Amino acid sequence: MTVVQRDDAYVLNYCTKSLARDNTDGRHNYGQYSPGDTRASIAEAWRFPVIDSYYDGRSYEDSYAFNTVTFVLANADGSARDVGVIGTFSDLVTPISMPRVDDSMYRAVSIAVPKGQVHRYRFVVDGKTIIDPVNPQRVTTPEGTQWSRFFTQYCTDIISFERWELTLLLRLTDHILPFRTIEGQRFLDIYLKDIERQSKDTQYARAYRLDQPIGVVNFIDKILAREESHRLIDYKICLELIDRVLRQRDPYEEPAQMPVSMYEDLYNQMAQDSGVQGWDYSRYASPRYFLQLLRRHTYTGAFSHPKYGGNAGAAGWGYLAHNLRDPLTGALPSAELQTTAFDWNRALEKPLGRSPEYHG
Amino acid sequence: MPNQPDSFDVIIIGSGAGGAPIAHTLVNAGKSVLVIEKGPLYRPQADDPFGLSDYKRDELISDGPEKRLTIPGLANTGASFYTSHVEPDLNDEPHIYRREGSDLATIEGYTCQCVGGGTQHYGGVSLRFSPLDFRLQSFNEGRTDLRNDPNGDVKREARDWPITYDDLEPYYSKAERLIGINGTRENQVKRASEENYHKPLAPNPISEYAHVGMVALGMQPYRTPQAVITQDHEASGRKVGPLGDPAWEGGPKTAYVNRYGDALDFKSNTWVALLRPISKKPNFALWSNTHVTRLESQGSKITKVNLRDPSGRERSVSAKLVVVACSAIESVRLLMLSAEVSPEFNGRINHNDLLGKYFLTHCFGGASAVMPGRFDKSLTVDSDWATDFCGSEDFIRSNGLWAGATIYNNTSDQALPIALGRTHGAADLDTLWHGFDNDTSIVGERFRTFLDLEFNRRLSVSFMANQVPQKANRIELHPSVRDKWGRRVAYIIKTWHSHDQYLMDTLAGRCRDVLAYGGDNGGGHYPVEGFGGVYLSENALARIANHILGGARFGTTEADSVLDKNCRAWRFDNLYIGDGAFMPTSGSGNPTLTIQANAFRVGDVLLQSGML
Repeated sequence: MTVVQRDDAYVLNYCTKSLARDNTDGRHNYGQYSPGDTRASIAEAWRFPVIDSYYDGRSYEDSYAFNTVTFVLANADGSARDVGVIGTFSDLVTPISMPRVDDSMYRAVSIAVPKGQVHRYRFVVDGKTIIDPVNPQRVTTPEGTQWSRFFTQYCTDIISFERWELTLLLRLTDHILPFRTIEGQRFLDIYLKDIERQSKDTQYARAYRLDQPIGVVNFIDKILAREESHRLIDYKICLELIDRVLRQRDPYEEPAQMPVSMYEDLYNQMAQDSGVQGWDYSRYASPRYFLQLLRRHTYTGAFSHPKYGGNAGAAGWGYLAHNLRDPLTGALPSAELQTTAFDWNRALEKPLGRSPEYHG
Repeated sequence: MPNQPDSFDVIIIGSGAGGAPIAHTLVNAGKSVLVIEKGPLYRPQADDPFGLSDYKRDELISDGPEKRLTIPGLANTGASFYTSHVEPDLNDEPHIYRREGSDLATIEGYTCQCVGGGTQHYGGVSLRFSPLDFRLQSFNEGRTDLRNDPNGDVKREARDWPITYDDLEPYYSKAERLIGINGTRENQVKRASEENYHKPLAPNPISEYAHVGMVALGMQPYRTPQAVITQDHEASGRKVGPLGDPAWEGGPKTAYVNRYGDALDFKSNTWVALLRPISKKPNFALWSNTHVTRLESQGSKITKVNLRDPSGRERSVSAKLVVVACSAIESVRLLMLSAEVSPEFNGRINHNDLLGKYFLTHCFGGASAVMPGRFDKSLTVDSDWATDFCGSEDFIRSNGLWAGATIYNNTSDQALPIALGRTHGAADLDTLWHGFDNDTSIVGERFRTFLDLEFNRRLSVSFMANQVPQKANRIELHPSVRDKWGRRVAYIIKTWHSHDQYLMDTLAGRCRDVLAYGGDNGGGHYPVEGFGGVYLSENALARIANHILGGARFGTTEADSVLDKNCRAWRFDNLYIGDGAFMPTSGSGNPTLTIQANAFRVGDVLLQSGML
């Protein structure tokens, strides 16, 4: 367990906007909290604990396997004396001390945690453990104890969805994305094979689930667990309704196995909003609204930085780099000539990209 | 903070274009200066102890996740919004504007709440205003050829600045030298006494269309001055590495530098250019994450600056001189909040009912087209070519306009994939994602053709022009909406003048011409599907382009202005405004360099005020 010595300014920079305030209204509740939940008064509560890049003092490339995770507890009335954190990243018993930040009300500590992991933790205040009062992510263990939760970047553990939901979501996002076209599929096959060959060298350029083209479903799973947890309910209801509609239309086939045309028809009907046969409008009034949400998440997942869990192996960027034709000649960018329409990795950190100066 | 002093020579509220030049000037002259900044000090790699930047090359850090507006009673309550990590949360501190009798919250009019302010995320376009911009009242005196100004508003409302271009010129040169700007001078109509530009890097190939179009139309182009260094910058100690070595793949030509916070030291924001170089001096203090809530006065003196520290605890500090420079809207708001609880303060700052009035932004807009070729726009700075063609007296008179404009191309817009998706069909910050989300036909094969048609093929050409000043365009305190500290938020009330609309139509046509001539090698027939002025957009009344000007204009008489020529509030001895609020007209170009130049001038004024 490595404690990272981030300075006081770092902690203040990341927590003042959210935690310093007078107003206690539930201004920041857009459906993710029950009435009365005090977290609703905190802007961008999902930022806690703060997940950031890590540097071990020797090699940025080696350090890329880790995140710096910073825990913060506001001790507004000054009553807490001894503050620490326990969690699955350590032995669950020995608190890691959280010293006071400058002369502020904040107690904080930063630790190094490997990327791609999910952990739970509790704060220890004068010998008693408490849940993080800010972090919206919480889990209950089988023994009934509540813990706060976080996950690090490049995480592929599924958090928000059940298996059948994932499968359905995969088919829906697949319908939106360009990768199921003949050209798109050919690109993806070649690109992913290429990445598999490279994966011995760099674990972050890997495609982690070949049943998730470019990881969009994983991205959505993560954003619904963290930044846009208020949207989880939309997915839960609509995936259930979609499953039901599809089963009504063909009682003999599993939705996951249904032909593309079934999804195409359903998508088009949902886009029209009204008259989706079998849709329970009393549970979700606008299927088109859900489609718009899904479209934004799908696009974002395909083309955002892979650390968010989508754009696996940077395949979305690779598609833009290698699969758009030169409008003047009709030619695809040539691998031999090393031409590309989008040299994305030039600007980005190693080992994902090849920037000689940016560390991520 | 308890061990820190609570009395200074000068307190500057805001660390952006208006505050930092003053701090730089005074600290180097040995004065004790406290800069207070509401937002964090996000550090680039060079000054982070771990060499890790708080700014990332990551589109989602700036193009944030969805949040929803929960403030009750607004016409857009419940709407989705997407703010970056350096903008305030809209539910905590919105700007409210008025449209057709309803109030709406908007993120427009916020630059960045962080050290460096708007200079952290701006495109860096660093134009000088033209000499004519300083004397639009004289220029329009007696004219009868103005179009679409039926009530003679231009003649009544235009003001000459109390300083001329020649007065400001040494400070333009100083700003260009100290901030670090690349560009070319030839073909500019703005005389320069010093040549301080860094040599621009080769333009992005897609910008050649704009260049061809400008040349074909007789619009003599120059390389757009931009606050990005391309050589080692002695004044701020920044180095660019082996730029120019063909094998070196670093450097500022990445779309993550413009319109994003720069993780490295290329973009000349006011932190790396002006404040970091003085940050180790014992007579300089920077309190970030600290929020000024109110000024207090006794007679003609500001005696107290009340603030909330990073824990939200109240505290007050004092100084011989106080400079408010937290961007025009927020500066006006701070003064109004101070006046609200003190009739005496109110009587001094708003004795002529002009505080908040004549709020200005720019007439802006342009044209956009899918160009014949595809080029990697992600390897770019923000703009490559500019022209002063539409700023000449000939052009202005022959088109019946009251003032001129600068035209330049934008290279880096939609250069990255998330930016393309979220701004597809969206004209502004309040309608992000609307186009892509609503166009449900973009799926599968159509998604492929969408990317094939749009990605790295679109080029836009923009104009930036003076807006007609109107007293009714103003900043007030909103009657009911309050921020997270319980303070009333800013209320933006503005319209576009009929002459503004005419001017925007005229100039958008010229931008269209640039692309029409540039797209077919001078033939003038290349199809340009989109062009127009900002007044046509869905939330045209909110649009500010983050050019937040006026509201506390300076002038020659106490009856007609909020500030004197030196940007001092007329009836206070020690209260100055450093940001763009001082402008009586908004200029024919992006305002940042002029705000910086004027702030350097005010810095000298303060040194000579006899009060330090």
